[in-house]
Amino acid sequence: MADISLRIQRPGRLWLTWRYIKRNKSLAIGLAVMLFLIAFTAIGFMVINPKHAYPLSAAPRQAPGLKYILGTDFFGRDLYAAMVVGMWQTAAIGLVAGGLGTLIGVFLGFVSAYFGGWIDTIIKTVCQILTPIPVLLIQVVVAGSLDKRDVTIMVMALIIVSLGWMGTTLVVRSQVLTMKERQFVAVAKLSGVGSMGIIFKEIMPNLLPFIAAAFVVQVFQAVFASFYLAVLGLGPLREPLLGNIIWSAQGQGAFFNGWWWWPIEPAVAMVLILGSLALINMGLDELANPRVRKTE
Amino acid sequence: MILRLIARRLLFLLLVIWSASTIVFFIPRLSKTNAIRERFAELARNGGFSPADMEKLVASYNKQFGLDNPLWQQYQEYLVNIVRLDFGYSLNKYPMTVTQVIMQAVPWTLSLLLVTTILSFLIGNLLGALSAWPKAPTWVRTIATPFVLLTGVPPIIMGVLLLFFLGFKLKWLPLGGSYSIGLIPDGSWAFFVDMMIHQILPALSLILGSVGGWVLSMRGMGITIQGEDYVNFAEHKGLKGRAIFRDYYLRNTLLPQATGLALALGTVVTSAIVVEGLFGLPGIGLVLNNAIRSNDFPVIYGIVLFITVAVATMMVLMEFIYPLLDPRIRNE
Amino acid sequence: MTAKNNIPPAVFAMHRRQFMLTAAAGALGAGAAPFTAFAQDAAAAVEISPSTPMAELPREAQAVLGWSMTSPVGVTNPWAVPGYTHQEGNAFMWEPLMYFGIFKDDYIPWLAASMEYTSPDFMALQIKINPAAKWSDGVAVTAKDVVFTFEGQMKNEKLPYHAAFDQFMESATATDDLTVDVKFKIAAPRFKFEVLCEKFDTGIPIVPAHAFDGQTDVNAMMGGAEMPHSGPYDLIAWNSSQKIFNLREDWWAVGAGLIALPDVKRIIISNLGGQVGQNMDTIAQRIVNNEMDSALDMRSSVIGNILAQNPKITTHTGNASPYGYLDWWPNSLWMNTQLAPFDDKRVRRAISLAINRDIINDTLYEGAKIATIYPFPLYPGLQAFVDSPEIKALEEKLQPGLYDVDASAALMTEAGFTRNGRDLWEKDGATVNCTINGFEGIHSDIVPILVEFLLAAGFDAAVNFGTNAYQNMADGVAGLYMFGHGASLKDPYAALELFHGRFSTSIGTSAGNNRFSRYSNPEFDAALDIMAPLASDDPKFHENAVKAMEIYWSEQIDVPIIQWLHRIAYNQTYWTNWPTTENLAAGTNGAFWAHTGLLVISGLKKA
Repeated sequence: MADISLRIQRPGRLWLTWRYIKRNKSLAIGLAVMLFLIAFTAIGFMVINPKHAYPLSAAPRQAPGLKYILGTDFFGRDLYAAMVVGMWQTAAIGLVAGGLGTLIGVFLGFVSAYFGGWIDTIIKTVCQILTPIPVLLIQVVVAGSLDKRDVTIMVMALIIVSLGWMGTTLVVRSQVLTMKERQFVAVAKLSGVGSMGIIFKEIMPNLLPFIAAAFVVQVFQAVFASFYLAVLGLGPLREPLLGNIIWSAQGQGAFFNGWWWWPIEPAVAMVLILGSLALINMGLDELANPRVRKTE
Repeated sequence: MILRLIARRLLFLLLVIWSASTIVFFIPRLSKTNAIRERFAELARNGGFSPADMEKLVASYNKQFGLDNPLWQQYQEYLVNIVRLDFGYSLNKYPMTVTQVIMQAVPWTLSLLLVTTILSFLIGNLLGALSAWPKAPTWVRTIATPFVLLTGVPPIIMGVLLLFFLGFKLKWLPLGGSYSIGLIPDGSWAFFVDMMIHQILPALSLILGSVGGWVLSMRGMGITIQGEDYVNFAEHKGLKGRAIFRDYYLRNTLLPQATGLALALGTVVTSAIVVEGLFGLPGIGLVLNNAIRSNDFPVIYGIVLFITVAVATMMVLMEFIYPLLDPRIRNE
Repeated sequence: MTAKNNIPPAVFAMHRRQFMLTAAAGALGAGAAPFTAFAQDAAAAVEISPSTPMAELPREAQAVLGWSMTSPVGVTNPWAVPGYTHQEGNAFMWEPLMYFGIFKDDYIPWLAASMEYTSPDFMALQIKINPAAKWSDGVAVTAKDVVFTFEGQMKNEKLPYHAAFDQFMESATATDDLTVDVKFKIAAPRFKFEVLCEKFDTGIPIVPAHAFDGQTDVNAMMGGAEMPHSGPYDLIAWNSSQKIFNLREDWWAVGAGLIALPDVKRIIISNLGGQVGQNMDTIAQRIVNNEMDSALDMRSSVIGNILAQNPKITTHTGNASPYGYLDWWPNSLWMNTQLAPFDDKRVRRAISLAINRDIINDTLYEGAKIATIYPFPLYPGLQAFVDSPEIKALEEKLQPGLYDVDASAALMTEAGFTRNGRDLWEKDGATVNCTINGFEGIHSDIVPILVEFLLAAGFDAAVNFGTNAYQNMADGVAGLYMFGHGASLKDPYAALELFHGRFSTSIGTSAGNNRFSRYSNPEFDAALDIMAPLASDDPKFHENAVKAMEIYWSEQIDVPIIQWLHRIAYNQTYWTNWPTTENLAAGTNGAFWAHTGLLVISGLKKA
């Protein structure tokens, strides 16, 4: 009996996911690159001494080789250590800023769409008013105005998130609005489910792909913004953030002096991080839109 | 009805301008630095300036620029001045006014940014639309991917690489500047050509990185529209792929993208900060970067407001143009 | 505003593009007053363009110089605020009474044929003007102009040398057309050198009295291309991309036999954009490709590569390290001696002992001897001072450059500090706040290294390159900061005077004049006060200078870190006779942006 029931069971969840990912190439490649980066950082942390990510810890200006796989910079940082620590810091900024931004956006979007009325008007208007203001420009002004000692990794994340939640809010709001009108919500309402219940049991699950996509966009923007601020020399200067490494390489004329590896390595890392996020986002678009979900 | 709509949009515009100006007014004041003193500091560290009595100097300039008034009073005057379109003097380039500083920079930025933004908008959207279009040839669909990857390449690295190889090593293109050293802008054809040649590398470093963004958003949009009933209907009606692509697909996706274009013009200015600095183009981005670093508040306000107003105005204009393009909205 | 109205309309030929913009803005704003005002303002966004088409000149007749221009377009008047425009080419238009050739260690008489103290106690000075001197409009330079210049500085608080004139000068009188008699309030043995001679970025140019006739606000007058000037180069074009000067062949100095007619017929200053010190690799590439003949000074890491890639390029020291000359701005790690724990001499010494000058030389400057133990540059006069047996004995005794982490730790323990969990020195629950305030553009190589030294020795160090760094220094908020001593050139007085007690106002009040020292020591002040009225060759001067140096080192008033070098590339593809160690030229330093830049450029010879 048990044998038979097993045989007619649907394939496992994991197996389905795997099959889906195989069809959704962008998602697959994006996730693969992301996994590689996570592995690089995780393994890196086991191998390196984080102290070597800071100046005067290695022979300066060494090209990649046996002793230093990724070379060293002008200040005597071991770039392998610097990349590992920097990658982790960049990820931390992305996750904190992206996560917070998504949380705020989802919360406000829900509140706005679900309760409607003047709350909706206010939230919507504020979002619309803030949208045309060039966010990066404001962030540059904020970061440029702060006392440098106060600019830590977390402060950077907060600067980024402070003006980075409007997009998610508007997306979630419009999705909730359409779902509110759908039948399953009406049915739930009729059967006496409370508003919290409706939000978490009925609407949320259907929204997840959208929230996931919004989160990826948020992380993308946060990583980009943090990188940008750092490249302009507005980040925490001693930390080996990817943008900081490029900033200091630029300051010492790295290309001209033939120390190509110094700026190129963080640039490649940046391409991989942002590229994989973009690919995942492309993949999630397909996932969120079941009508074009590819069939086998 | 129309009048009410216009009034509402204008109110919206005003609110945008007000909030942008309020944000930029207060933020630089979070730091307790004194722009005037910083100005002298910059001079001092560039080679040994001996201001006679710094405090006297600072005080007399503070008075001149009204920086010794209480904050709310400065804020009030600031708002009044904005209404009068008077941004005052640049602290850093006194006696030039902010308007003069901006106007001097605008042509360079406009020519660079307009060209690059529109080009990357066109290339990106076409690639994006094609990559989501099932009937497009495979090579077209795959060509979009490298551009998506390039979005991660920071414009500064792109610029440095292009400069190093195309400019320095191969000597194909100039190493920076807005036109050849020693030329006088005389409006002649030769000068125009010279100027355009100098714009190629900065333009490339902006375009290569920003095409991917359009590919992504257009693709997302395209995928959504493919599922729409009217596309299915058109297919079943037996319309040719190309006609569907043009009339149903592109047309419906380009509209929301147009709003994005207005927004993008605001954000590319930020990339311009880096690229203009690298190539020594005396545009808005360079002016803004210098202003931030020298705490030249009035210029910072001026530029952020200038860009915000430009972007918001374009968005509002787009909304008025929509009905002309989209029959659905026209009928509403 | 007055400035715009003061300029003859001919100065600003309106550009076609701007005309279009104005027209457009005007059309938009018709009827609305603010818009009209805006349009007018925008229209005034002027550039200076040649009134007639500029003659074509071969590249060999032009000097192309790279600089990050920040001064407002149109300002040539040396008295315009915020001043300090000489670095961007205006030095080619203005001349002083005398120059000082730092590497020749001698005065170079210019508008003044002579300038002598007429009393042994340095209370009076007589200036004789060169009878050949003429302004560009043909009017003779007379004693009236000199008196006008001096009186302007005495009365006008906005001018940079007001305080010096106010402190020293009693009166200036023109006794005849070519003679000025100056009376001082107090002995002023250094006034001639510090104020009346131009060298590096200090000293004043003489301005034409008749150009200011009828001006209500001399600080708001821009000057433009029309302002009469005595220097040989006339401003022809100026916009945000470049500034162009043409040689005026009837320069008075040629006729007076001071100098041969310059070979450089046109100077083009190309705007590099950005802040000083940014994007140096692009600039290096443009020099290597012979686009530019010289540009602002390079970081140590870049200059060697420039030489390697183009054999025609040289530097002050030729093809040898350190590829540059000493600037007058040696940098110390300054300490606020009124702020705990830096008020403890042992802590200051412990910080000094944590600095490894060998690593600075080897790692940062690839073997060049840049690290220093002096607060002044070793120009000939100062080199003689430190070579004196008394100073050598002091160095032996006090070991100011010693690196010894153990000795540092011993001193910290003695001062009551213990190592905490993060291995940092701590006392009463507080670590030593060693945030180093500095400036990104120029300190981005050295300060990160200092932070590592301090962290390694247990000091809680960080970097602040923020826009408030300077403010912190001036307000006395900063405990540690990186800053130069822009002071001594000939003798140690000016550098040591930076630490005089009269500048060390208490914390919270701003220090003026870049004198941020909070140090106060009656014994030190007494030595300085004895030196003040004496000439530097006076034996009593030397005796007290040694005494002051002993206090400087033993008290560890600050920690001298590096000499400041100007590593300037001189491209000899088109021009030779750049001032170098091999070829003194006019005896000045080779920076075209210094006041003496006029002598550098007008002395260049066709290659």
